[in-house]
Amino acid sequence: MTGTVETSKFVRELNRVWANLPGWGSLSAVNHSTIGLRFMVTGMVFFLIGGILAMLVRTQLALPEQDLISAELYNQAFTMHGTVMMFLFAIPVLEGLAIYLIPKMIGARDLVFPRISALGYYCYLFGGIIILSSLFLGIAPDSGWFMYTPLSSSVFSPGPGSDFWLLGITFVEISAMAAGIELTVSILRTRAPGMTLSRMPIFCWYILAMALMIVFGFPPLILASILLELERAAGMPFFDVAAGGDPLLWQHLFWLFGHPEVYIIFLPAAGIVSTLIPVFSGRPLVGYRWIVLSIILTGFISFGLWVHHMFTVGIPQLAQAFFSVASMMVAVPTAIQVFAWLATLWMGKVVFRLPMLWIMGFLVIFVCGGLTGVMLALVPFNWQVHDTHFVVAHMHYVLVGGMFFPLMAGLYYWLPLVSGRMLSERMGRWGFWLTFIGFNTTFLLMHLTGLLGMPRRVYTYEAGLGWDWLNLLSSIGGFIMAAGVAMVLLDLLLHYRFGRKATSNPWQADTLEWALDKPPAPYNFVSLPRIQSRSPLWDDPELGERLQAGEGSLVSIEHGRRETWGTDAVTGEPSEICHLPTNSWWPLMAAGALALVCVSLLMRWYPVAILGAVLAALPLFRWSWENGGHPSAAPLTPNDVEDELPLESRTLDGPGRWGMIITLLADGALYLSLLFGWFYLWTAAPQWSAPDDGPLSIWGLVLSGALLTLASLRFRQQARRLARGDEIGVQSGLWQATALGALHVLSLIAVLWVAPLAITDNAYDAVLFFMLLFLLFHSALAVIITALQAWRIKLGYVSARLPYEPQVVWPFWLYTTGIFWVSVALFVFLPMAWGAST
Amino acid sequence: MKQFLMKQTFMKLSTGHPAQLVIGLTVWCVWFVAVYGGLSVACELAAPEPNRGAFNTISLTLIVLTVLTVLWLAWGAWTCWQSTTDEVDSTERQTPFIARVSAGLYAVAALAALIVVWPLLMLPPCL
Repeated sequence: MTGTVETSKFVRELNRVWANLPGWGSLSAVNHSTIGLRFMVTGMVFFLIGGILAMLVRTQLALPEQDLISAELYNQAFTMHGTVMMFLFAIPVLEGLAIYLIPKMIGARDLVFPRISALGYYCYLFGGIIILSSLFLGIAPDSGWFMYTPLSSSVFSPGPGSDFWLLGITFVEISAMAAGIELTVSILRTRAPGMTLSRMPIFCWYILAMALMIVFGFPPLILASILLELERAAGMPFFDVAAGGDPLLWQHLFWLFGHPEVYIIFLPAAGIVSTLIPVFSGRPLVGYRWIVLSIILTGFISFGLWVHHMFTVGIPQLAQAFFSVASMMVAVPTAIQVFAWLATLWMGKVVFRLPMLWIMGFLVIFVCGGLTGVMLALVPFNWQVHDTHFVVAHMHYVLVGGMFFPLMAGLYYWLPLVSGRMLSERMGRWGFWLTFIGFNTTFLLMHLTGLLGMPRRVYTYEAGLGWDWLNLLSSIGGFIMAAGVAMVLLDLLLHYRFGRKATSNPWQADTLEWALDKPPAPYNFVSLPRIQSRSPLWDDPELGERLQAGEGSLVSIEHGRRETWGTDAVTGEPSEICHLPTNSWWPLMAAGALALVCVSLLMRWYPVAILGAVLAALPLFRWSWENGGHPSAAPLTPNDVEDELPLESRTLDGPGRWGMIITLLADGALYLSLLFGWFYLWTAAPQWSAPDDGPLSIWGLVLSGALLTLASLRFRQQARRLARGDEIGVQSGLWQATALGALHVLSLIAVLWVAPLAITDNAYDAVLFFMLLFLLFHSALAVIITALQAWRIKLGYVSARLPYEPQVVWPFWLYTTGIFWVSVALFVFLPMAWGAST
Repeated sequence: MKQFLMKQTFMKLSTGHPAQLVIGLTVWCVWFVAVYGGLSVACELAAPEPNRGAFNTISLTLIVLTVLTVLWLAWGAWTCWQSTTDEVDSTERQTPFIARVSAGLYAVAALAALIVVWPLLMLPPCL
């Protein structure tokens, strides 16, 4: 496992196995470095578009009663500015950074699900193009980046603008979910040997928290988008008061996502700060354990604040008080981090290179944003400044200060790793100061504009209200900031040609990514390290050379597979070898077909949308087919290695199983959001009504559930049998599970078919219909993947020696059965017991 | 019953188990949802007269739930913290780190519940 190797031959072979295909073939790349960089470059392009829209808005507001652009265009511009910056820039760029850096920091060769990375990128790219195309067609959404109903509903937004937003954003969200799932599993299961949780680079803790927050935070918005699109396209009235819905349900679901989103953006940026400050202070981070505590705390508490965006909509006083207190509490973990950073700076010897300059800018701006956040958490103050430019200013202080400045610090810090060259210190300083001064001129004054009463989202204003000079200066500040960004971009472009060569560890950093070549090879490490502390490069500055010379572990490539260590989540000790897939066209094909679904739904071409869905399913199933013991993956051989650690597909608990469980957590979050919606409408919708006798057949549901339970138990039995090493009868057992599952699906369809659901007349029936579709989707998927498993047994891809895949599928059966019975209990039995119409 | 189940789950895990890092705050989240959702449902079903002030069945029920939750969280914090002072097997290098962070998280979760529930003592529930 460990030892020196014939380096040059080995490296040649590594390059051959890990290289992307040339030319158009690079579209099939799945390598994390390639995908991470694509995410970041695409995000920067979207950022520039969002910035131009901001300039348009600021130009319009520079002078009173200006008619540079119409009210309609102004509405589209600010909506698209917010949408682009939040969904197409902030999250994807940070995900891209994490995708690029995490394997390098944890001493792995790639992320654990590379094809999912590629799928995520293409979903992001296509989704972004779809959303932006509406802008160029002049039919962009214009209801604000939060798309409040009923403004975004078909009555007030009859054009396709809202549809572009809903479908495009849902498409982009798939990308975020993909990154969230794979970053979580990669960090937990593929760290270098010896990298215990307590030795993990602090950045990884931040990314782990961000990834898990995405897993739990994004599903409410995905659900809300689906419901609103169903309302707009099919007339199902989830948000229509007259039919028993409630527009406030949209706000709840949106902010259930929207508030954690702020921290999803902030946490990785804070991770950059926590990584850079020790490097430029020349000493370890003060209070590592406290920072881990505060990261976890932020991750949780930020989910308990969503209502503070809704203090003016008529929430009961006590509920407002709960959320007000919780909103103030979230400042505590943030303060812990700020104090830890200050203590590290205080105790170290700070070198003010360019990244540190951006960090100092961050500290000033973000602390100001945090303070106005505490002010806004106070209900009476919130009522006063609600929907004024004060809130806009606060939001930009938190997001630009909390994300953009650390991102720039990270850009200056890590770009030498990517390009092998240093950026210009002089141009960088000009870029920083222009951005810093421009930003504060724009937004510090905007607090005052807001306090003087200027509402947000108005395209012009009368002269003489005291807002004129403030708006003019804000607009001038905006252009100064734009000049700063332009300077940074110019520096970025020029440095590839004119930047001086970076030394091997230009910042004297302590984390593993600086042990790599510049730019890093696609496999990152020739051999993988064993980690003894949190600062491996400070302990052993020669580590990089030794790893490149093959003195680490996992130095076998004769098999021609891409591999990295699978390690224990806590101790970091190797437990298996993860076999990673090579270049693949399936992600591009699947994303392309999903884009077809999206576009055809926009055009209301429903048969084409169904065709697109089928076309998307085919590459996805084919993708799952080329795994484990498949001849193109890692088939069993007579001399399957026995003395080394086993391949993931020969175990019972590899990272794939963790991926399934994390995916189900995300799915569960969506289901819980649906339950929340059900209870919310029940208790809060003004016109909610439901019949005393529910429309669904009780006996039909019970029969259907019994079949599902039997199928599930049958599957479990076969998975256990394989785990024990007994494969006799497993194939027929899986076919039986498939048959029982298929009967369950048919019976559920029958229940749906005979139910007298008036899905366009009332929200009650619409929710029940959606719930049944949700169950049907899961049940049908369980049946298909079980049939595929039975077939794989027949072909020898799953067996007693390859028992892994049924262990991956089993949690899906368990989950499907669980949500079925919970649904029956809460959507059918509970209303009956309580009196549905109350 | 819920408290009992949580206790059982907690007791099965060692204090060095990584799940301890999230149990305390997960309980806090469940408590938060139960208090916020419970308040909404209770007000829908049986809103008390506003002139009865802060002391009524709904508020008292929520306060009792809070006290039980806080006690359980405090016990979790104490147990985790105590384990860090025990002799630790040198091969289990994770135990002190996870147990100490978890102790802090349990304690913060308990404090957070106490702080958030404070308005219950002052405001009538269904206004």
